[in-house]
Parts: sequence; C-alpha cells; structure tokens
Amino acid sequence: MNRFQITRTGTYLTVQDWGRFHYQHLGVSPSGIMDQRIPEALAKVIPHHQNQFLEFAYVGPSLKVEQGAIKVSVGGQCNIFVQKNNNTQIEHAPYTSINLFEGDELTIHNTIDSVYGYIAFENGLGLEPCLQSFATDTKAQIGSINRPLQIGDQFEVSKDVSSWDLQSNEEVNISKQTNFKVYPGPQMNYFSDEVLQTFVSSPFTITTQSDRMGLRLEGEPLKSHISHDILSEGILPGCIQVPSNGQPIILMRDIPCTGGYPKIAIMASEDISKIAQLPPGTKITFDL
Amino acid sequence: MFFKGINHYGDLGLILDFGSDSSQQISQEVNAVYALIQDLDMPQLNIIPSFNKIVLAFQNSKDRNQAQDAIEHNLTKANLTNSQKDRKLWNIPACYEDSYALDRELIQATHGLSKEEVISKHTCTSYYAYYIGFMPGFPYLGDIDPSLITPRLATPRIQIPARSIGIAKEHTCVYPKVSPGGWNIIGQVPFDIFSLEHSRTSLFLPGDTVQFQSISEKEFLQIQSKHLAFDEIIKEFSK
Repeated sequence: MNRFQITRTGTYLTVQDWGRFHYQHLGVSPSGIMDQRIPEALAKVIPHHQNQFLEFAYVGPSLKVEQGAIKVSVGGQCNIFVQKNNNTQIEHAPYTSINLFEGDELTIHNTIDSVYGYIAFENGLGLEPCLQSFATDTKAQIGSINRPLQIGDQFEVSKDVSSWDLQSNEEVNISKQTNFKVYPGPQMNYFSDEVLQTFVSSPFTITTQSDRMGLRLEGEPLKSHISHDILSEGILPGCIQVPSNGQPIILMRDIPCTGGYPKIAIMASEDISKIAQLPPGTKITFDL
Repeated sequence: MFFKGINHYGDLGLILDFGSDSSQQISQEVNAVYALIQDLDMPQLNIIPSFNKIVLAFQNSKDRNQAQDAIEHNLTKANLTNSQKDRKLWNIPACYEDSYALDRELIQATHGLSKEEVISKHTCTSYYAYYIGFMPGFPYLGDIDPSLITPRLATPRIQIPARSIGIAKEHTCVYPKVSPGGWNIIGQVPFDIFSLEHSRTSLFLPGDTVQFQSISEKEFLQIQSKHLAFDEIIKEFSK
C-alpha cells in the first residue's frame, strides 16, 4: 500500500476529471477540469491516471509520501520542488514524471501568469466515483470528495506503478490569447446593433470575482432593449450571459444548470480551457 | 405542437425552441420531447429541459449534427403521445407552522390572507413539476393559486434551511439543501428530496404531480425522526 497526505492545500485544491455528465436535468452541474489541455498532456506522462487529477488555482499544494512510493507529474506554469528525506531539495520541470518515496514532500509554488495547475498520479487517487464522475462541485457538495481538500487528507494508491522510468512530454503552451471568436447566443436579438458593436469593439476586463462557476467581466455596460430577465433555460459552459448591470459573465465548469439572464454569445468550447487560464486584470475582446 | 425548431447552441450544443411562453401544456410537450430524445439513445452528454426549451450538450460537432438530424426525423406528433410513462403522483407532508414558515406572515400581509387561507390555498392545488434545476433536485412546481403569487424577496436570504418550501411568482419549490435564495419560505417537508444513494437521485422528476398536505409540528417531527430512505418515501407518499 502506498499512502500520501496533503500537508499544504494551496488554494482551491479539488479532485477533478473530464466532467459529470447525464445529470444536468436533475440540477447537477458538469463541473470537471478547468483547463483540459494540461491533464491531456499529463496523460502522456502518467498513462494510468484513472481520470483522478488534483486541480489547484494560483497556489499549489504540498503532499508528503507517508508509506511506499508514488509516481506523479505536475502540469501548469509553476515551480516544482521535492524535499527529500535526507533534506536535499530537487527542482523538477512540469510535464515530467516524478518518483516520490517514503518521506519525500512535493511542493508546488504559485502558477505564473496563469491560474490553474494539475497533478496526475499513476494509478489515480484510489477514489470511488460519485454519480459516475470523480469531479468536485463544492457549491452543490457533490464529488468523490465533496469539498476542497484539507491538510491531513490522505490518499491510498493501492497498486504498484508499471514503470519507474522517467518520462516527459512537451509543455502545454499557455498562450496569451485574449481575442476570442464567439458564436451568437440564443438571445443575441435582445441587444441592439449598437450594443453588439460595443460587445465586439471594446475590451472587457476579467475581475477578481471569477471562479470555477464563471468569469465576471467588467467593461462598457451591455444593456438590453428588451429585458435582462428571461424564463430560465438550460445553459452550458461558455455561455456569455448579461445580467441587468450590463456586465457579462462567462459561465465556466461549475455552472448553475439553468439561467434566467439573456445570453449574448457563446464561446467556442476549446476556448473555455484557454480563457480559464487568464488571471484577473486581463483585458479580453470578442469577435462575432 | 408548440415546437418551433432546433438551433445550434455554440459549437457543441443544440437548443429546441417551444416559443417564449410558459404553461403546463407547453411543459408537457417539452417533457414528452425530452423522453423521446432519451429513447433515441444518442451520445449526448446532457439533455436539459426547462419551461419552453431543451438544451443538449455533445462531445463533438459530428455527434451534434447527427443528433440534430435524428431529432428532426423522429419528432412527430404521433411519437409524443405515449411518452408520459413513469410519472409519479406525490402527496407530500408539509409543516406550515411558524418555525418553518419564515415568510408566511409576509405573504399573509401582502395578500390580506389568514394563516389558514395561505395553507389551504397552497395545499388544495396539485402542482405540475416543470423541470429540475438551479441546484441538484430543486423542482420548479406550478402553478400556484393566483392569490398567492408573490415576487422573490427583494434581498435574497444568505441561508435558507434545507427542505424549505418556497413560492416565487407563479411557482412553488422545495430547497433540497441549505442554500442562498430569494423564494418566500412558507413551510418545510420532513425528509430529503435528493439522494446520492438512490438511482432516482431526485425525488421529483419532470412531469410528476405534487400535492402538499398540511401536518402538525408533532407529526412533522415524527416523520423527520424516521430518516426515511427514498424507497420508503416513494412507497408511502407516491402513486
């Protein structure tokens, strides 16, 4: 039996997978990995990840091997250190495999010019799925672990790893794309040509009030000449909704399942991962 | 048919449009189409019915485009007739006493009704379950007696107790868990309505019929203390 423990949580440390599907009609959000590109790259280094990844935002966690040994890989723009049992410290690169032995402590520093980072574990985290998924929705308290992780949380990784050989993969280039092509939203006609012109010509700033549920933007207000209150209807990650203050919200992975604000536009699905990595303060623009 | 057509919803979604109104007839058609789509056994990730729309999510655009063809091909009036299967009729005990009815006096004052009148108006109607949304297991039920129609609270509560019964506009609901929210709270049910342990997951499903039955605080506490599992609740309180 191999066992490790969380010794520092960093910020917003949760278990995630590719999403919880087939339950949104019961009010259950899809949730799942914010930037899917990173775990996709980690999967080439850690093939038996069992779809059980740790996700953190801004500040990475520390974890210490209590018993046995584990093999991990860290993805994202961050500095990674291992404090060995004999008190030496080794720095590792992202997207390389790291062998951790009893007493070793892995520490991940903050994500540089980005938001999310990930850890993949050979043989996963030994978790049982909840509603067919390992993803955590902390607001609805649904998940294999239905809350952010805490110091002292322990994971048991039962099987031996297939190979201790060191592997690496090309880094994910977290490019600074800030202009996004969007699709028309179902209530685009709630906004006049003039307002739509503002939407595509003026920049919007990602505010600090952004999280796994949505990115709140700030810019020239987008006022509807019809209403900012519609009968609630199904929403998907990437929908850009506009409440009555005219400041758009891009819905991300922990969406409420239906929403009552008009949707001016919808992001391309592959751009959701990209925009998730833009820190608050970043100015973005849209193309229709 | 109220159905108006299917449109793309971003690059991986579809939205079925049933107009801009809301009524039980429209919702029945929405839920019939929802059942029909489920039976088509397509590779969608999610189907999300609401008052007058159905949104579908897919993994890739090929799945999405094939599904659009399949729905357009199969969506005929004839296919919608026998889809109201497995709908349950619920008779749900509810306690309207002061400790559970945080806004009942506000409703009484707004509409000039007595406590007994609010309770009898809320319990005499059998409600249609439009859809489940907002949070896991949260049913949008309606329509309530016109004399009870009340806007949402001007300032939403930070914490509404789990299992609370609320009313807002022409709808009534039950909060499955503790939650922030703006509905006017008039009572509470004595058991959970969302369960990860039961395959049904949500006690109420779209198309179900729900009627509340007023019980005393003593009866409420008795039922509450039994910690009923879904199977027991279904056996005792549904048809």
